[in-house]
Amino acid sequence: MKNKVLSAIAMAVSVFFFLGCEEENSIDQPGNLVPKTVDQDSSIPSISINGTQLHAETFGNPNNPMVVFLHGGPGSDYRSSLNAKDLADDGYYVIFYDQRGSGLSKRHDQNSYSIQLVLDDLTGVIAHYRTSNTQKVFLFGHSWGAMLATAYVNTYPALINGVILAEPGGLNKKLLDEYGESSRKLNLFSEATSDLFYMDQFLTGKENEHEILDYKMGISTSFSYAKGNDEGIEGPSPFWRMGTAVLNGFIDIAENDGFDFTTNLTQYDTKVLFLFGEMNKSYGYHFARKEAMYFRNAQIEEVKGTGHEMIYFKWENVHPIVLNYLNELK
Amino acid sequence: MKPILILITFLISLFTFNILHSQTINWKSLQNEQKHILNANTGWEYGFVYGIGYAYRLETKIPMVLEGSVSFASGEVILDDFKTKIGGQINLYQIENFNFNAAVHGIYRRYGNPLVTLQNFGADATAIIGYYKPKWFAAGEFGFDKAIVTHFKHADIYTDVYPDVKNGWFEPATGGNFNFGIQGGYSFNRSDITLRAGKVMTEDFKTSPLVPFYLQLGYNYKLD
Repeated sequence: MKNKVLSAIAMAVSVFFFLGCEEENSIDQPGNLVPKTVDQDSSIPSISINGTQLHAETFGNPNNPMVVFLHGGPGSDYRSSLNAKDLADDGYYVIFYDQRGSGLSKRHDQNSYSIQLVLDDLTGVIAHYRTSNTQKVFLFGHSWGAMLATAYVNTYPALINGVILAEPGGLNKKLLDEYGESSRKLNLFSEATSDLFYMDQFLTGKENEHEILDYKMGISTSFSYAKGNDEGIEGPSPFWRMGTAVLNGFIDIAENDGFDFTTNLTQYDTKVLFLFGEMNKSYGYHFARKEAMYFRNAQIEEVKGTGHEMIYFKWENVHPIVLNYLNELK
Repeated sequence: MKPILILITFLISLFTFNILHSQTINWKSLQNEQKHILNANTGWEYGFVYGIGYAYRLETKIPMVLEGSVSFASGEVILDDFKTKIGGQINLYQIENFNFNAAVHGIYRRYGNPLVTLQNFGADATAIIGYYKPKWFAAGEFGFDKAIVTHFKHADIYTDVYPDVKNGWFEPATGGNFNFGIQGGYSFNRSDITLRAGKVMTEDFKTSPLVPFYLQLGYNYKLD
Protein backbone atom coordinates (compact mmCIF):
# COMPACT_ATOMS: atom_id res chain seq x y z
CA MET A 1 0.00 0.00 0.00
CA LYS A 2 2.84 2.39 0.83
CA ASN A 3 4.26 2.06 -2.67
CA LYS A 4 0.86 2.65 -4.23
CA VAL A 5 0.31 5.81 -2.24
CA LEU A 6 3.72 7.20 -3.08
CA SER A 7 3.25 6.37 -6.75
CA ALA A 8 -0.09 8.13 -6.77
CA ILE A 9 1.42 11.24 -5.20
CA ALA A 10 4.28 11.31 -7.69
CA MET A 11 1.89 10.82 -10.61
CA ALA A 12 -0.48 13.59 -9.47
CA VAL A 13 2.36 16.02 -8.98
CA SER A 14 3.90 15.16 -12.35
CA VAL A 15 0.64 15.66 -14.24
CA PHE A 16 -0.02 18.96 -12.50
CA PHE A 17 3.40 20.36 -13.26
CA PHE A 18 3.54 19.20 -16.87
CA LEU A 19 0.09 20.60 -17.61
CA GLY A 20 0.67 23.80 -15.73
CA CYS A 21 4.07 24.88 -16.94
CA GLU A 22 3.10 26.41 -20.24
CA GLU A 23 4.27 29.74 -18.86
CA GLU A 24 7.24 30.22 -16.55
CA ASN A 25 8.23 33.49 -14.95
CA SER A 26 10.94 34.58 -12.60
CA ILE A 27 9.71 35.84 -9.26
CA ASP A 28 12.36 38.54 -8.96
CA GLN A 29 12.52 39.72 -12.58
CA PRO A 30 11.74 43.49 -12.76
CA GLY A 31 8.41 44.10 -14.44
CA ASN A 32 6.90 40.65 -13.92
CA LEU A 33 4.75 41.36 -10.88
CA VAL A 34 5.18 45.07 -10.26
CA PRO A 35 6.07 47.94 -12.62
CA LYS A 36 9.68 48.91 -13.11
CA THR A 37 10.95 51.95 -11.25
CA VAL A 38 12.45 55.11 -12.77
CA ASP A 39 15.98 53.76 -12.57
CA GLN A 40 14.89 50.63 -14.48
CA ASP A 41 12.73 52.35 -17.12
CA SER A 42 13.95 55.65 -18.55
CA SER A 43 10.58 56.40 -20.17
CA ILE A 44 9.06 57.22 -16.77
CA PRO A 45 9.21 60.97 -15.94
CA SER A 46 11.68 61.58 -13.15
CA ILE A 47 13.94 64.03 -11.38
CA SER A 48 17.27 63.37 -9.67
CA ILE A 49 17.69 65.08 -6.32
CA ASN A 50 19.40 64.44 -3.00
CA GLY A 51 21.08 61.25 -4.15
CA THR A 52 18.01 59.53 -5.46
CA GLN A 53 15.71 59.43 -8.50
CA LEU A 54 12.06 60.28 -8.00
CA HIS A 55 9.06 59.68 -10.24
CA ALA A 56 7.55 63.16 -10.69
CA GLU A 57 5.10 65.11 -12.84
CA THR A 58 3.88 68.69 -12.94
CA PHE A 59 0.73 70.37 -14.18
CA GLY A 60 0.06 74.05 -14.81
CA ASN A 61 2.08 77.20 -15.40
CA PRO A 62 5.48 76.92 -13.69
CA ASN A 63 5.26 80.57 -12.64
CA ASN A 64 2.02 80.13 -10.70
CA PRO A 65 2.00 79.48 -6.93
CA MET A 66 3.24 75.93 -6.30
CA VAL A 67 1.16 73.20 -4.72
CA VAL A 68 3.35 70.22 -3.85
CA PHE A 69 1.27 67.10 -3.26
CA LEU A 70 2.51 64.59 -0.67
CA HIS A 71 1.01 61.12 -0.93
CA GLY A 72 0.25 58.70 1.89
CA GLY A 73 1.91 55.56 3.11
CA PRO A 74 4.77 55.63 3.77
CA GLY A 75 5.22 53.59 0.66
CA SER A 76 2.11 54.44 -1.30
CA ASP A 77 2.16 56.74 -4.37
CA TYR A 78 0.36 59.69 -5.93
CA ARG A 79 -1.68 57.83 -8.56
CA SER A 80 -4.92 57.88 -6.56
CA SER A 81 -4.51 61.62 -5.92
CA LEU A 82 -4.19 62.80 -9.50
CA ASN A 83 -7.61 64.45 -9.21
CA ALA A 84 -5.72 67.25 -7.47
CA LYS A 85 -4.19 68.22 -10.80
CA ASP A 86 -7.45 70.15 -11.38
CA LEU A 87 -5.79 72.85 -9.29
CA ALA A 88 -3.63 73.57 -12.34
CA ASP A 89 -6.74 74.92 -14.09
CA ASP A 90 -7.40 77.08 -11.05
CA GLY A 91 -4.10 78.95 -11.42
CA TYR A 92 -1.65 76.74 -9.51
CA TYR A 93 1.51 74.90 -10.49
CA VAL A 94 0.82 71.39 -9.19
CA ILE A 95 3.72 69.05 -8.46
CA PHE A 96 3.36 65.35 -7.80
CA TYR A 97 6.19 63.07 -6.85
CA ASP A 98 6.50 59.56 -5.49
CA GLN A 99 8.53 59.82 -2.33
CA ARG A 100 11.88 58.06 -2.00
CA GLY A 101 11.39 54.29 -2.18
CA SER A 102 7.68 54.66 -3.03
CA GLY A 103 5.58 54.22 -6.15
CA LEU A 104 7.82 54.29 -9.23
CA SER A 105 10.70 56.07 -7.50
CA LYS A 106 14.05 54.37 -6.99
CA ARG A 107 14.30 51.76 -4.21
CA HIS A 108 16.77 51.93 -1.33
CA ASP A 109 17.69 49.64 1.55
CA GLN A 110 15.31 49.53 4.46
CA ASN A 111 17.88 50.81 6.92
CA SER A 112 18.73 53.91 4.83
CA TYR A 113 15.65 55.97 5.71
CA SER A 114 15.27 58.84 8.16
CA ILE A 115 12.79 61.65 8.68
CA GLN A 116 15.45 64.25 7.85
CA LEU A 117 16.25 62.43 4.61
CA VAL A 118 12.70 62.71 3.29
CA LEU A 119 12.50 66.33 4.47
CA ASP A 120 15.65 67.00 2.47
CA ASP A 121 14.04 65.28 -0.52
CA LEU A 122 11.10 67.67 -0.26
CA THR A 123 13.47 70.63 -0.06
CA GLY A 124 15.13 69.29 -3.19
CA VAL A 125 11.82 68.88 -5.03
CA ILE A 126 10.75 72.44 -4.19
CA ALA A 127 14.13 73.81 -5.27
CA HIS A 128 14.00 71.80 -8.50
CA TYR A 129 10.67 73.22 -9.61
CA ARG A 130 10.59 76.67 -8.05
CA THR A 131 11.05 79.36 -10.68
CA SER A 132 11.57 82.41 -8.44
CA ASN A 133 12.25 83.29 -4.84
CA THR A 134 8.90 85.07 -4.61
CA GLN A 135 6.89 82.09 -5.83
CA LYS A 136 4.58 80.90 -3.06
CA VAL A 137 4.80 77.27 -1.96
CA PHE A 138 1.86 75.30 -0.56
CA LEU A 139 1.94 71.72 0.72
CA PHE A 140 -1.05 69.42 0.25
CA GLY A 141 -0.61 66.18 2.18
CA HIS A 142 -2.81 63.14 2.54
CA SER A 143 -2.49 60.70 5.47
CA TRP A 144 1.25 60.03 5.89
CA GLY A 145 1.82 62.86 3.41
CA ALA A 146 -0.01 65.19 5.79
CA MET A 147 2.27 64.01 8.60
CA LEU A 148 5.26 64.72 6.38
CA ALA A 149 3.93 68.19 5.51
CA THR A 150 3.55 68.87 9.24
CA ALA A 151 7.10 67.67 9.88
CA TYR A 152 8.29 70.05 7.19
CA VAL A 153 6.62 73.19 8.59
CA ASN A 154 7.69 72.09 12.07
CA THR A 155 11.30 72.18 10.84
CA TYR A 156 11.11 74.98 8.27
CA PRO A 157 8.14 77.19 9.24
CA ALA A 158 9.29 80.18 7.20
CA LEU A 159 9.49 78.35 3.87
CA ILE A 160 5.85 77.32 3.39
CA ASN A 161 2.95 79.65 2.60
CA GLY A 162 0.10 77.30 3.47
CA VAL A 163 -0.62 73.68 4.37
CA ILE A 164 -3.55 71.39 3.63
CA LEU A 165 -3.67 68.31 5.84
CA ALA A 166 -6.08 65.55 4.83
CA GLU A 167 -6.37 63.19 7.79
CA PRO A 168 -2.78 62.99 9.03
CA GLY A 169 -2.59 59.68 10.87
CA GLY A 170 -0.83 61.12 13.93
CA LEU A 171 1.44 64.13 14.35
CA ASN A 172 3.41 62.34 17.04
CA LYS A 173 3.89 58.75 18.15
CA LYS A 174 1.10 58.92 20.73
CA LEU A 175 -1.45 60.12 18.20
CA LEU A 176 -0.23 57.62 15.62
CA ASP A 177 -0.79 54.77 18.06
CA GLU A 178 -4.19 56.13 18.97
CA TYR A 179 -5.26 56.35 15.35
CA GLY A 180 -3.73 52.96 14.53
CA GLU A 181 -5.58 51.20 17.34
CA SER A 182 -8.82 52.80 16.29
CA SER A 183 -8.56 52.25 12.54
CA ARG A 184 -6.96 48.82 12.27
CA LYS A 185 -9.09 46.55 14.39
CA LEU A 186 -8.75 42.90 13.44
CA ASN A 187 -11.47 40.31 13.47
CA LEU A 188 -9.47 37.09 13.65
CA PHE A 189 -12.16 35.08 11.91
CA SER A 190 -12.90 37.44 9.01
CA GLU A 191 -12.10 36.97 5.36
CA ALA A 192 -10.16 40.25 5.35
CA THR A 193 -7.88 38.97 8.11
CA SER A 194 -7.24 35.70 6.29
CA ASP A 195 -6.57 37.65 3.09
CA LEU A 196 -3.97 39.70 4.91
CA PHE A 197 -2.06 36.93 6.73
CA TYR A 198 -2.55 33.67 4.83
CA MET A 199 -0.29 34.67 1.94
CA ASP A 200 2.73 34.69 4.26
CA GLN A 201 3.23 30.99 3.54
CA PHE A 202 3.20 31.55 -0.25
CA LEU A 203 5.39 34.64 -0.55
CA THR A 204 8.07 35.69 1.86
CA GLY A 205 10.77 37.89 0.39
CA LYS A 206 13.96 38.84 2.10
CA GLU A 207 14.62 42.27 3.61
CA ASN A 208 15.45 44.16 0.41
CA GLU A 209 13.89 41.93 -2.26
CA HIS A 210 11.85 44.88 -3.46
CA GLU A 211 9.93 43.21 -6.30
CA ILE A 212 8.51 40.46 -4.08
CA LEU A 213 7.91 42.63 -1.03
CA ASP A 214 6.27 45.46 -3.00
CA TYR A 215 4.04 43.01 -4.84
CA LYS A 216 3.01 41.36 -1.61
CA MET A 217 2.11 44.70 -0.07
CA GLY A 218 0.21 45.68 -3.20
CA ILE A 219 -2.01 42.63 -3.16
CA SER A 220 -2.61 43.17 0.57
CA THR A 221 -4.33 46.48 -0.09
CA SER A 222 -7.73 44.79 -0.20
CA PHE A 223 -7.58 44.73 3.60
CA SER A 224 -7.89 48.53 3.73
CA TYR A 225 -11.20 48.60 1.87
CA ALA A 226 -12.73 45.43 3.28
CA LYS A 227 -16.46 45.62 3.91
CA GLY A 228 -17.22 47.54 7.08
CA ASN A 229 -13.74 49.05 7.43
CA ASP A 230 -13.59 51.81 10.05
CA GLU A 231 -11.88 54.31 7.78
CA GLY A 232 -14.86 54.46 5.46
CA ILE A 233 -12.86 53.46 2.40
CA GLU A 234 -15.32 52.75 -0.38
CA GLY A 235 -13.27 50.35 -2.50
CA PRO A 236 -10.01 49.92 -4.36
CA SER A 237 -8.17 52.99 -5.56
CA PRO A 238 -5.38 52.92 -8.14
CA PHE A 239 -1.71 52.78 -7.29
CA TRP A 240 1.45 52.11 -9.24
CA ARG A 241 3.59 50.18 -6.83
CA MET A 242 3.88 49.97 -3.08
CA GLY A 243 7.19 50.56 -1.30
CA THR A 244 7.65 48.01 1.45
CA ALA A 245 11.22 48.83 2.48
CA VAL A 246 10.38 52.49 3.12
CA LEU A 247 7.29 51.50 5.09
CA ASN A 248 9.23 49.03 7.21
CA GLY A 249 12.04 51.53 7.61
CA PHE A 250 9.68 54.15 9.04
CA ILE A 251 7.88 51.60 11.20
CA ASP A 252 11.27 50.75 12.71
CA ILE A 253 12.00 54.45 13.27
CA ALA A 254 8.60 55.06 14.89
CA GLU A 255 8.92 52.02 17.15
CA ASN A 256 12.56 52.45 18.10
CA ASP A 257 12.99 56.21 18.23
CA GLY A 258 9.46 57.61 18.29
CA PHE A 259 8.75 60.93 16.61
CA ASP A 260 7.09 64.22 17.34
CA PHE A 261 6.30 66.66 14.52
CA THR A 262 4.62 69.16 16.83
CA THR A 263 7.53 70.56 18.81
CA ASN A 264 7.85 73.80 16.84
CA LEU A 265 4.43 74.28 15.27
CA THR A 266 3.68 77.35 17.33
CA GLN A 267 6.22 79.13 15.12
CA TYR A 268 3.94 78.62 12.14
CA ASP A 269 1.48 81.52 12.03
CA THR A 270 -0.25 80.79 8.74
CA LYS A 271 -3.71 79.20 8.84
CA VAL A 272 -3.64 75.44 8.27
CA LEU A 273 -6.52 73.57 6.63
CA PHE A 274 -7.53 70.21 8.15
CA LEU A 275 -9.79 67.88 6.17
CA PHE A 276 -11.54 64.80 7.51
CA GLY A 277 -13.95 62.41 5.83
CA GLU A 278 -17.46 62.10 7.19
CA MET A 279 -17.39 58.28 6.91
CA ASN A 280 -14.05 57.70 8.66
CA LYS A 281 -15.16 56.49 12.09
CA SER A 282 -11.58 56.46 13.36
CA TYR A 283 -10.81 60.11 12.62
CA GLY A 284 -13.75 62.51 12.76
CA TYR A 285 -13.94 66.03 14.11
CA HIS A 286 -12.71 64.91 17.54
CA PHE A 287 -9.36 63.62 16.24
CA ALA A 288 -8.98 66.47 13.75
CA ARG A 289 -9.44 68.97 16.57
CA LYS A 290 -6.91 67.14 18.72
CA GLU A 291 -4.32 67.46 15.93
CA ALA A 292 -5.28 71.00 14.95
CA MET A 293 -4.71 72.17 18.53
CA TYR A 294 -0.96 72.06 17.91
CA PHE A 295 -1.25 74.87 15.38
CA ARG A 296 -1.90 78.50 16.24
CA ASN A 297 -4.40 78.93 13.45
CA ALA A 298 -6.32 75.99 12.00
CA GLN A 299 -9.50 75.54 9.98
CA ILE A 300 -11.22 72.16 10.21
CA GLU A 301 -13.53 71.02 7.42
CA GLU A 302 -15.58 67.87 7.02
CA VAL A 303 -15.72 66.27 3.57
CA LYS A 304 -19.19 64.83 3.13
CA GLY A 305 -19.97 61.36 1.82
CA THR A 306 -16.54 59.76 1.99
CA GLY A 307 -13.81 58.43 4.26
CA HIS A 308 -10.05 58.37 4.34
CA GLU A 309 -9.59 58.15 0.56
CA MET A 310 -11.49 61.40 0.03
CA ILE A 311 -9.25 62.74 -2.75
CA TYR A 312 -9.99 59.77 -5.00
CA PHE A 313 -13.61 59.06 -4.14
CA LYS A 314 -15.03 62.54 -3.45
CA TRP A 315 -12.72 65.01 -5.09
CA GLU A 316 -15.75 67.05 -6.11
CA ASN A 317 -16.32 67.74 -2.40
CA VAL A 318 -12.65 68.23 -1.54
CA HIS A 319 -11.84 70.55 -4.43
CA PRO A 320 -13.94 73.62 -3.46
CA ILE A 321 -12.70 73.54 0.14
CA VAL A 322 -9.06 73.32 -0.94
CA LEU A 323 -9.47 75.95 -3.63
CA ASN A 324 -11.10 78.47 -1.26
CA TYR A 325 -8.24 77.97 1.21
CA LEU A 326 -5.55 78.38 -1.43
CA ASN A 327 -7.21 81.43 -2.96
CA GLU A 328 -7.34 83.07 0.47
CA LEU A 329 -3.58 82.74 0.80
CA LYS A 330 -2.65 83.19 -2.84
CA MET B 1 13.20 26.12 -14.82
CA LYS B 2 11.83 23.18 -16.76
CA PRO B 3 8.95 21.17 -15.36
CA ILE B 4 11.08 18.11 -14.75
CA LEU B 5 13.47 20.14 -12.63
CA ILE B 6 10.56 21.51 -10.61
CA LEU B 7 9.33 18.00 -10.07
CA ILE B 8 12.75 16.78 -9.03
CA THR B 9 13.12 19.71 -6.66
CA PHE B 10 9.74 18.92 -5.18
CA LEU B 11 10.50 15.24 -4.69
CA ILE B 12 13.96 15.86 -3.29
CA SER B 13 12.48 18.38 -0.89
CA LEU B 14 9.78 15.95 0.05
CA PHE B 15 11.97 12.97 0.74
CA THR B 16 15.22 14.40 1.99
CA PHE B 17 14.73 17.83 3.36
CA ASN B 18 11.43 18.31 4.99
CA ILE B 19 9.82 17.93 8.30
CA LEU B 20 6.75 20.01 10.06
CA HIS B 21 3.06 20.52 10.77
CA SER B 22 2.05 16.92 10.97
CA GLN B 23 -0.51 15.32 13.19
CA THR B 24 0.64 15.54 16.76
CA ILE B 25 0.99 11.93 17.88
CA ASN B 26 1.73 10.35 21.22
CA TRP B 27 3.69 7.32 20.01
CA LYS B 28 3.67 5.75 23.47
CA SER B 29 -0.13 5.69 23.67
CA LEU B 30 -0.55 4.18 20.21
CA GLN B 31 -1.46 0.53 20.65
CA ASN B 32 -0.33 -2.15 18.20
CA GLU B 33 -3.88 -2.88 17.09
CA GLN B 34 -4.71 0.77 16.47
CA LYS B 35 -4.25 1.38 12.73
CA HIS B 36 -6.28 4.49 12.05
CA ILE B 37 -5.97 7.95 13.60
CA LEU B 38 -8.63 10.57 12.96
CA ASN B 39 -7.70 14.14 13.76
CA ALA B 40 -9.46 17.47 14.09
CA ASN B 41 -7.64 20.68 14.88
CA THR B 42 -7.97 24.42 15.03
CA GLY B 43 -5.70 27.34 15.76
CA TRP B 44 -3.58 30.06 14.23
CA GLU B 45 -1.26 29.27 11.36
CA TYR B 46 -1.03 32.21 8.92
CA GLY B 47 -4.65 32.87 9.84
CA PHE B 48 -7.28 31.23 11.97
CA VAL B 49 -7.63 27.74 10.52
CA TYR B 50 -9.75 24.61 10.99
CA GLY B 51 -8.43 21.25 9.88
CA ILE B 52 -9.09 17.54 9.74
CA GLY B 53 -6.68 14.70 9.09
CA TYR B 54 -6.31 10.98 8.80
CA ALA B 55 -3.28 8.81 9.52
CA TYR B 56 -2.71 5.12 8.80
CA ARG B 57 -0.22 3.17 10.83
CA LEU B 58 1.96 0.90 8.73
CA GLU B 59 3.03 -2.53 9.90
CA THR B 60 6.73 -1.80 9.87
CA LYS B 61 9.58 -2.51 12.21
CA ILE B 62 10.13 1.18 12.84
CA PRO B 63 6.87 2.91 13.89
CA MET B 64 5.58 4.86 10.91
CA VAL B 65 2.31 6.47 9.77
CA LEU B 66 1.13 7.77 6.42
CA GLU B 67 -1.14 10.77 6.73
CA GLY B 68 -3.17 13.33 4.87
CA SER B 69 -4.85 16.49 6.04
CA VAL B 70 -6.77 19.50 4.89
CA SER B 71 -7.23 22.84 6.62
CA PHE B 72 -9.22 25.93 5.75
CA ALA B 73 -8.71 29.55 6.73
CA SER B 74 -11.70 31.16 8.38
CA GLY B 75 -13.70 33.82 6.62
CA GLU B 76 -16.86 34.35 4.65
CA VAL B 77 -15.43 32.50 1.64
CA ILE B 78 -14.38 29.07 2.91
CA LEU B 79 -12.81 27.45 -0.15
CA ASP B 80 -10.56 30.26 -1.33
CA ASP B 81 -7.80 29.71 1.25
CA PHE B 82 -6.85 26.15 2.12
CA LYS B 83 -3.97 23.74 2.47
CA THR B 84 -3.77 20.01 1.81
CA LYS B 85 -0.89 17.84 2.86
CA ILE B 86 0.11 14.25 2.32
CA GLY B 87 3.12 12.54 3.77
CA GLY B 88 4.26 10.57 6.72
CA GLN B 89 5.83 10.46 10.15
CA ILE B 90 8.39 8.09 11.52
CA ASN B 91 9.50 7.33 15.06
CA LEU B 92 13.19 7.14 14.18
CA TYR B 93 14.89 6.54 17.48
CA GLN B 94 14.06 5.80 21.10
CA ILE B 95 16.05 5.86 24.31
CA GLU B 96 13.75 4.78 27.10
CA ASN B 97 11.02 7.44 27.06
CA PHE B 98 12.87 9.86 24.81
CA ASN B 99 11.88 9.71 21.15
CA PHE B 100 13.19 11.31 18.00
CA ASN B 101 10.54 11.65 15.31
CA ALA B 102 10.54 13.09 11.83
CA ALA B 103 7.77 14.00 9.43
CA VAL B 104 7.70 15.00 5.76
CA HIS B 105 4.80 16.22 3.65
CA GLY B 106 4.08 17.41 0.18
CA ILE B 107 1.74 20.40 0.17
CA TYR B 108 -0.81 21.82 -2.20
CA ARG B 109 -2.32 25.12 -1.04
CA ARG B 110 -4.44 27.90 -2.41
CA TYR B 111 -4.84 31.57 -1.56
CA GLY B 112 -7.43 33.94 -2.97
CA ASN B 113 -8.19 37.58 -2.37
CA PRO B 114 -9.88 40.24 -4.54
CA LEU B 115 -6.63 40.87 -6.45
CA VAL B 116 -5.05 37.47 -7.04
CA THR B 117 -5.38 33.71 -6.73
CA LEU B 118 -2.24 31.76 -5.85
CA GLN B 119 -1.79 27.99 -6.08
CA ASN B 120 1.34 26.52 -4.64
CA PHE B 121 3.16 23.23 -4.45
CA GLY B 122 5.48 23.04 -1.51
CA ALA B 123 6.84 20.75 1.12
CA ASP B 124 7.39 20.80 4.82
CA ALA B 125 9.56 18.89 7.23
CA THR B 126 9.69 18.66 11.00
CA ALA B 127 12.04 17.13 13.52
CA ILE B 128 10.50 16.37 16.91
CA ILE B 129 12.39 15.38 20.03
CA GLY B 130 10.43 14.68 23.18
CA TYR B 131 9.58 12.70 26.28
CA TYR B 132 6.71 10.28 25.79
CA LYS B 133 4.62 8.41 28.36
CA PRO B 134 1.41 6.46 27.72
CA LYS B 135 -0.71 9.21 29.30
CA TRP B 136 1.16 12.32 28.20
CA PHE B 137 4.03 13.68 26.18
CA ALA B 138 6.03 16.88 25.76
CA ALA B 139 8.35 17.65 22.86
CA GLY B 140 10.23 20.33 21.01
CA GLU B 141 9.88 20.74 17.26
CA PHE B 142 11.79 22.44 14.49
CA GLY B 143 10.58 22.63 10.94
CA PHE B 144 10.79 24.23 7.55
CA ASP B 145 8.04 24.98 5.05
CA LYS B 146 9.04 25.76 1.48
CA ALA B 147 6.72 27.23 -1.17
CA ILE B 148 8.47 25.61 -4.12
CA VAL B 149 6.49 26.70 -7.16
CA THR B 150 3.49 29.02 -7.33
CA HIS B 151 0.87 29.83 -9.94
CA PHE B 152 -0.42 33.42 -10.10
CA LYS B 153 -3.76 34.41 -11.62
CA HIS B 154 -4.57 38.08 -11.25
CA ALA B 155 -8.03 39.60 -11.04
CA ASP B 156 -9.19 42.76 -12.80
CA ILE B 157 -8.48 44.96 -9.79
CA TYR B 158 -4.77 44.20 -10.08
CA THR B 159 -4.57 44.14 -13.87
CA ASP B 160 -6.17 47.60 -13.81
CA VAL B 161 -3.34 48.66 -11.51
CA TYR B 162 -0.65 46.98 -13.59
CA PRO B 163 -1.80 45.74 -17.03
CA ASP B 164 1.56 44.10 -17.82
CA VAL B 165 1.57 41.81 -14.79
CA LYS B 166 2.44 38.20 -15.64
CA ASN B 167 0.15 35.28 -14.89
CA GLY B 168 1.33 31.69 -14.73
CA TRP B 169 3.95 29.67 -12.88
CA PHE B 170 6.70 31.49 -11.06
CA GLU B 171 10.06 30.21 -9.96
CA PRO B 172 12.43 29.94 -8.18
CA ALA B 173 10.81 29.24 -4.83
CA THR B 174 8.51 32.07 -3.78
CA GLY B 175 8.80 31.58 -0.05
CA GLY B 176 10.12 29.65 2.86
CA ASN B 177 9.56 29.80 6.60
CA PHE B 178 11.21 28.12 9.56
CA ASN B 179 9.29 27.29 12.70
CA PHE B 180 10.34 26.19 16.13
CA GLY B 181 8.19 25.49 19.14
CA ILE B 182 6.80 22.95 21.56
CA GLN B 183 4.11 20.33 21.45
CA GLY B 184 2.45 18.26 24.11
CA GLY B 185 -0.61 16.24 24.84
CA TYR B 186 -2.74 14.18 27.19
CA SER B 187 -3.93 10.69 26.20
CA PHE B 188 -6.92 8.79 27.52
CA ASN B 189 -8.80 5.73 26.23
CA ARG B 190 -8.57 6.04 22.43
CA SER B 191 -8.09 9.81 22.45
CA ASP B 192 -5.32 12.40 22.54
CA ILE B 193 -5.75 16.10 23.20
CA THR B 194 -2.73 17.95 21.82
CA LEU B 195 -1.32 21.44 21.77
CA ARG B 196 1.39 22.94 19.59
CA ALA B 197 2.78 26.46 19.77
CA GLY B 198 5.81 28.26 18.47
CA LYS B 199 7.40 30.97 16.41
CA VAL B 200 7.73 31.39 12.66
CA MET B 201 10.59 33.14 10.87
CA THR B 202 11.29 33.61 7.21
CA GLU B 203 14.23 31.78 5.73
CA ASP B 204 16.61 34.76 5.93
CA PHE B 205 16.13 34.87 9.75
CA LYS B 206 15.82 38.69 9.45
CA THR B 207 12.13 39.06 8.71
CA SER B 208 8.98 37.45 10.04
CA PRO B 209 5.45 36.86 8.82
CA LEU B 210 2.97 39.54 9.94
CA VAL B 211 1.94 37.25 12.80
CA PRO B 212 5.09 35.27 13.59
CA PHE B 213 3.46 32.65 15.81
CA TYR B 214 1.43 29.49 15.48
CA LEU B 215 -0.88 27.77 17.90
CA GLN B 216 -2.79 24.56 17.30
CA LEU B 217 -5.23 22.65 19.49
CA GLY B 218 -5.88 19.12 18.24
CA TYR B 219 -7.87 16.01 19.00
CA ASN B 220 -6.99 12.48 17.86
CA TYR B 221 -9.24 9.44 17.94
CA LYS B 222 -7.62 6.05 17.33
CA LEU B 223 -9.38 3.09 15.75
CA ASP B 224 -8.43 -0.56 15.26
